Amino acid sequence: MTMVRIRGLHKSFGSLHVLRGVDLDVNRGDVLCIIGPSGSGKSTLLRCTNLLIYPDQGDIFIEDVKVNSREVRPEWVRQQIGMVFQQFNLFTHLTALRNVMLGLVRVKGMDAAAARSKAEFELERVGLAEKKDAYPAQLSGGQQQRVAIARALAMDPKVMLFDEPTSALDPEYIHEVLDVMKRLAEEGMTMMVVTHEMGFAKEVADSIIFFNQGQIVERGSPEEIFDRPGHERTKAFVGKILR
Amino acid sequence: MVQRRWLESLKTWVPRWRSSVTGRADFQRNATRFVLRVLAGLGITALGFGLVIWLGTLRYYNLGYAESILPGLGQGFLVTIRLVAVVIPLGFALGFLFGWARTTRSLILRGLGAAYVEVFRGLPPIVLIFFSYLITTLAILNISKNPFIAGDVALWMGAIALSLHSGAYQTEIIRAGILSVPTGQIEAADSVGLSRWQTMFRVTLPQAFRVSLPPLGNEFASVIKDTSLLNIIGWLDLAQIGLLQVPAALKADFNLVFIIWIEIALLYFVLTFVVTKVVRFVENAYKVPGLEAAEL
Repeated sequence: MTMVRIRGLHKSFGSLHVLRGVDLDVNRGDVLCIIGPSGSGKSTLLRCTNLLIYPDQGDIFIEDVKVNSREVRPEWVRQQIGMVFQQFNLFTHLTALRNVMLGLVRVKGMDAAAARSKAEFELERVGLAEKKDAYPAQLSGGQQQRVAIARALAMDPKVMLFDEPTSALDPEYIHEVLDVMKRLAEEGMTMMVVTHEMGFAKEVADSIIFFNQGQIVERGSPEEIFDRPGHERTKAFVGKILR
Repeated sequence: MVQRRWLESLKTWVPRWRSSVTGRADFQRNATRFVLRVLAGLGITALGFGLVIWLGTLRYYNLGYAESILPGLGQGFLVTIRLVAVVIPLGFALGFLFGWARTTRSLILRGLGAAYVEVFRGLPPIVLIFFSYLITTLAILNISKNPFIAGDVALWMGAIALSLHSGAYQTEIIRAGILSVPTGQIEAADSVGLSRWQTMFRVTLPQAFRVSLPPLGNEFASVIKDTSLLNIIGWLDLAQIGLLQVPAALKADFNLVFIIWIEIALLYFVLTFVVTKVVRFVENAYKVPGLEAAEL
């Protein structure tokens, strides 16, 4: 069953045409990795999916509900979709626990006690139960990113978007974040991951998209993309990255 | 229900106060420090008064005089406190609203905020005070012909004019605080599903205040002393009561003039000191562990 369906997506910033007609399907439980050179519009594609940016043209469906429409509240859409950022973006003034609780209490309307136990459960899931009273500035990058994943998971999203989740991390912390993401994939979460971690993409992705100049150049299984890419552009990019 | 939610939101403004057990320990330490600091300020003032009395016992001037002007100055001090109690909250409310307005997407609100700042920051407070006093007096006299009502209302209009002036400065302080919150914070709040309103109160403002509080304390200290401008329209505040004593003092003994001004200075100092320590207290409550520079 199709979880995310994107049709004919266009987005421009001024004279810069960032997305040039993107069509995309992600099935329930699938992990889709999006690779491509920087500036190719990968982040914009993710941001359009949860309506942080509104597309100029085209349709986005989550479980067959058209979400970029006037009848749908963007807050409702974003509640269905978890997002993890390159720079973590934890709320700096709140403890790890309260970062996770905020959406539960304010958006889902849970009472404080229920939200607390749910938040503690989610922190446990990413292996940070003992850090719940720490503030973001007291955590390492890897720990911050795991709290950010817990914050997104707590809302019980249907899809998780990852926007280069390990690009701002010191090498020593990358694996702990990737491990959490792998476990999430095994549990059957639908995921769209923009990443430069080719090892992760090879191992976890159900399919990979090579994205260039605002368009999908090629889509295929990890083997197809990495071992026998069909397009010259893909070949060049993959060759450079894998060496 | 509505009332409870209001209370809830107020509590998160000082988020650490109820955050955890460690939060409570910090609160107690913060409160203790506040009391100690205020006591230290009062101690400095007491030393000042002690110096005045000491000079009197050395017969530099008539000691009885220092005492005799105190009740009058005390009256003026109370008037100044009343003015401060109006001007600071009102100025802050204006600064908060216009500061917020200047950061919204609405072109109208932003324009309004900009116009407010340019006008009320650009005009000297003394002109604003006079203008509002005169206009109010004329307006009320036209309607009621009762000069007493006109006088009272016009006096307070002067205080409001000073609030508008201070509010213009505070607008920029609040705006700077809001602008200091990275857009990533707002994107994160959006992606969790918070509404724009919730994002403002739960995410942006608590972080903005942390940045705005030190300059706000500055502005409060400054406007406390600016209330002395209000005596030009007839407020018998601390400075004015002191001024009224000067001619008599000059006739009796030149040294007495110094005594008057020293006592005025000490009383203003107490007020400024206490208010800035209150700001400091709130500042500490907003502290985020790990984000602060090492505390000396």
